[in-house]
Amino acid sequence: MSIPKSILNSDDDVNLTDEKKEKQFVHDVYEAIAPHFSKTRYKPWPVVEAFLKQLPSGSIGADVGCGNGKYLSSNLIAICGSKGFEVMICDALNLPYRPDSFDFVISIAVIHHFSSIERRNMAIMELFRIAKPDAQILIYVWALEQSSSSRRQFDQDHQDVFVPWAMPVQMNKPDDNIDDNPNEKKKDIVYNRYYHLFRKNELDDLIIGTGLADIVKSGYDKDNWYVIAKKKRITH
Amino acid sequence: MRLITHNMLQCHVKGCNTNNFPLELSEIEYELQETEFNPQFLRNFVPKLEWDALVRTAMKLGITTLPDKLPDTPIQEIDEKFLKDLHRVLLETHIQQGRMTCPNCQHVYPIKDGIPNMLLNENEV
Repeated sequence: MSIPKSILNSDDDVNLTDEKKEKQFVHDVYEAIAPHFSKTRYKPWPVVEAFLKQLPSGSIGADVGCGNGKYLSSNLIAICGSKGFEVMICDALNLPYRPDSFDFVISIAVIHHFSSIERRNMAIMELFRIAKPDAQILIYVWALEQSSSSRRQFDQDHQDVFVPWAMPVQMNKPDDNIDDNPNEKKKDIVYNRYYHLFRKNELDDLIIGTGLADIVKSGYDKDNWYVIAKKKRITH
Repeated sequence: MRLITHNMLQCHVKGCNTNNFPLELSEIEYELQETEFNPQFLRNFVPKLEWDALVRTAMKLGITTLPDKLPDTPIQEIDEKFLKDLHRVLLETHIQQGRMTCPNCQHVYPIKDGIPNMLLNENEV
C-alpha cells in the first residue's frame, strides 16, 4: 500500500516504495535533526515513567526506536550510547533478538512513521515477538485528535501528513556565507517528517488484530494515543 | 555492547531460521567497565540465559571463569562467587570493536565504538 496521493508533492514521489519514502522523510530527517532533537527531548512522559516504575527490579526491556534514550537512526542511537544505555542500530520491522526475550518492550513515537498499514502491523508484531509471554508492551503513537493546548492542529480528513521540524541555523554546519551578509536574517531550516496520525481506537484495533496480545490499558496522553498490551501465552 | 545483549541476539536475515545463534565473535576489542553488582537481578536472569552460548563466547575472548555447566543448586542458593564472575562477564565486559558472524548464513554484523549495526541489505529482508 502506498501513501495517499493527497500528501505527495510531485508525481515522481508516487513511484517511491514505502521503504524509500520512509528513508527520505523519516530516517534522513532524523539524521539531520538529531543533535537539536535530542536537546529538546529531556522530560519523561508521566505514563511512560509510571509504566517503567511498576516493573519488577531487574527487568530487561527493549526500547525500540529509542530516540535519545529519554527512557531507557544511527545518529540518534549513538546519542543513546553516550547516556549509558545498551543500544544498537536496527530495523524495527526486523529486530535482531531471539523470540520471547524481554520482560517488557516500549515503542514510543515510532509506529506512526511507517507509511502503510501492513508495515505498521509488521512493526507491532515484531514488538510482540521479542516480548516474553505475559510481558507488557507499551506503544505510543501521535494522535490525529490534538488537544486544544497543542501547538499542532491537524486536518481531521488527512491521516498521512508531513510535519515540519524547524531547526535553528546555528545547529547546522557553519556556513561561511552567512556572516558575509549581515543584512540577511538567519532562518530556521525546515525538515519535513512523514507521520501517519492515528485516530481514536486505531492502535487498539491493530493490536487486537494481531491476535498476539490483550489490551491491559489504553488512553490518550500528551496528544498521543497509547496502549499497554500483554502478550498472550500461545502454545507453538 | 555487553555480553548480556549478545546472548539475546540472533541472525535475522530472511530465511535464516536455524543454527542462527549465537553470532560468532571475531576481531574483538573489549573493555571492562565496572558497574553495580545486583545479585537478585542475576538470579532472575540466569534461567533466561543460553548458557552454552555464553560460555563459548566468553572463551572466544579468553575468559575462562565460567563453568561449562550451570550449577545444579536452586537459583536462590547459587553462591556469591559464581554470581560475581557472571556479573563480570555479562554486565562489565563491553565489546567495543569487532565482527559478529552468523554460523548459518555467514552474514557479518559489525560492531563499531561499542554499537552493533544489525541492519540488513535490501535483498536480505
